[in-house]
Amino acid sequence: MVDYLYDETFEGLLTCIYHHYYTEKASGIFPKDAYQSTMLGGCMEIETEEHKAVTVYEAIEKKISSWDLKRIYKVFMSSTEQKECKILNYVRLGFVKGPGIRLLHGDPIVFPVQEAEQKVNAEVHRMKGLIRFSELEEGILYSPIEPDHDIVEFLARHFSDRFKNEPFIIHDAKRNKALVAYHGSWYISHFTKENLSSHSKEEAEYRRLWKSYFENMAIKERINPRCQKNMMPVRYWKNLTEFQL
Amino acid sequence: MDLMFDKLKILADSAKYDVSCSSSGVGRKNNGIIGSGAKEGICHTWSADGRCISLLKVLFTNKCVYDCEYCVNRRSADSPRASFEPEELARLTIEFYRRNYIEGLFLSSAVEVSPDHTAERILYCLRILRREYGFAGYIHAKIIPGVSQELLHDIGLEADRLSVNIEMPTSKSLELFAPQKKPKQIFSPMRQITNTLIERKSLQGPGTMFKGQDLNSPLNYLTPDQTLSIGAGQLRENQNKSAAGEKTALVRARKKEVFAPAGQTTQMIIGAGEETDRQILTTTENLYHTFKMKRVYYSAYIPVVSSPLLPGPFTVPPLGREHRLYQADWLLRFYGFSAGELLDDDNPNLDPELDPKITWALRHLDHFPVEVNKAPMDLLLRIPGVGVLSAQRILRQRKARSVRYEDLKRMGVVLKRAKHFLTCSGKYYGETNFAPDSIRNQILEINDGVQISMFGGDGSGLLTAGVERKKVEHHG
Ligand code: SF4
Repeated sequence: MVDYLYDETFEGLLTCIYHHYYTEKASGIFPKDAYQSTMLGGCMEIETEEHKAVTVYEAIEKKISSWDLKRIYKVFMSSTEQKECKILNYVRLGFVKGPGIRLLHGDPIVFPVQEAEQKVNAEVHRMKGLIRFSELEEGILYSPIEPDHDIVEFLARHFSDRFKNEPFIIHDAKRNKALVAYHGSWYISHFTKENLSSHSKEEAEYRRLWKSYFENMAIKERINPRCQKNMMPVRYWKNLTEFQL
Repeated sequence: MDLMFDKLKILADSAKYDVSCSSSGVGRKNNGIIGSGAKEGICHTWSADGRCISLLKVLFTNKCVYDCEYCVNRRSADSPRASFEPEELARLTIEFYRRNYIEGLFLSSAVEVSPDHTAERILYCLRILRREYGFAGYIHAKIIPGVSQELLHDIGLEADRLSVNIEMPTSKSLELFAPQKKPKQIFSPMRQITNTLIERKSLQGPGTMFKGQDLNSPLNYLTPDQTLSIGAGQLRENQNKSAAGEKTALVRARKKEVFAPAGQTTQMIIGAGEETDRQILTTTENLYHTFKMKRVYYSAYIPVVSSPLLPGPFTVPPLGREHRLYQADWLLRFYGFSAGELLDDDNPNLDPELDPKITWALRHLDHFPVEVNKAPMDLLLRIPGVGVLSAQRILRQRKARSVRYEDLKRMGVVLKRAKHFLTCSGKYYGETNFAPDSIRNQILEINDGVQISMFGGDGSGLLTAGVERKKVEHHG
């Protein structure tokens, strides 16, 4: 048994799973930069190898299902603690149970994966509402976000269809990456705020209208800030136009 | 712009008491230039009262010729007035939408000049949005009682959802508080909407209430002379009118056009008149059965105007009551309960302390405990603490392996409540003797201190854009 250390790419994780089966059983899989050696069994740094990753990728697709492959990818993009170990356990059980694994809602191995996937799905859904675009001088729509999980990619389909005639950028400021889209196609790239042009002339007016609309909507007899914060956690507020000056 | 600023303020201010903000019910890709519909609905923000803001909710105008007792916009009230121009409202909607502030438009209105005059301007605005801007986002249009059939039809072709406010839970209250609105004027557009949906085979009905039934059978057409049993002795349509004036919308079925794909809803004010919860829930159920509406909304009465007929200006809005009614409504739509089961002569009002599902279970302990490894869906759903999603998970896992007690929590079952009402492979996990009072006390003790926030995640529906809210679990 050995702890595998990987480079934090999905392919890297799959390569570790490959080694679990063909080299030595894994006691766990961890990001190599954050690893603190405490285990007695020692650790091994794994180099990502495409063909090994592909082998595992296809095995999951075939022996479990492509639905589960997607689930695993979402969990990988989450910020869940020890997600690598959770995925490893899930894949191991999946190779035994096949596609039926997803029925085991109460299983202690399935549950943490299901839970992490739900958190990602929930944040994706939430962000579909909480994205706030500002119009830049060239007419480009720009939105900075700081999501808990690495989700910009999962927003692509929704927004590139909805705004297929608007060029837009959804910028994950925490991870320095962005979803850039126009005319229905999109890509993910490294991105920082430098050289971003300023707001268009009309932008300030619509912000003012929206902010006033937002404040006006609360019925004073029903004020319930706790409920507001429950539904929309405060950590998201700083990127919302309605809470800015 | 400053003019716009004031207009928006006035016209949003009067619209905010309308509770529905749902943007759900239509899944549509962008078939225009900008916009799409998300089946489950999307909330964009939450105002300080904890309500979800999904749509730009405004009145087209608040210059009203009517004089409804409870309303800030009534003719005799002294409030600032404004009207939108169709173009400017369309533009505002698009600019808000581009910035992803909103999911679409909820357009309601007072009656300026006449119902038809107002409806024409609303229709014009919606056409600019749909045709000039190519807007494919969500539109909810409120129909003013008294609007002609043609205009209603044309608005339905632009809108995703239509609603006619029933306003009050009984005809007595309606007469008292909104003397210019007649039951016939309210029911006739409701009926037209339902019939048009049947004719286009797109009537869906509320929740899972009519699961497995063909709602779109021609047998379901509502005829004008048909008695609409909106509650025994409650809201009832005036029957002695001639049916001749009402031509059916059948003739105009042009197949390609989509008519209000997200269906029909309505809203009533509670706590202004003297109705019991039982009357309210019976009216609700009748609205579901008769018109197969997607939803009935409740709005706790808030004293915005003073009137000798209404509760005094310092009345606290009955928010707790509204919350219990929403829970009961949820049970009607998704859990197979009927109004008559939840409330009866001896219990005309919902228990303020406990949710209606627990109250029902405590009155029917002979149905319990339910064995989770054997019971069918409808029985699982009757267990307090078991929601639709967890019941489905139980059924699914049973196909692969039996459900253990430890599994239940991970499946989303609220054991604090559920344990009193179930067995797992024959074993009972409740600690008390199996009697209504001791179970009730146990549950109340838990509720104390950690009382679920008044509107917190429990199917009140105000908070979410979603009607179905598949992803969020409700522990009914
Ligand atoms: S019709 Fe009645 S409820 Fe509607 S705006 Fe006019 S006064 Fe108010």
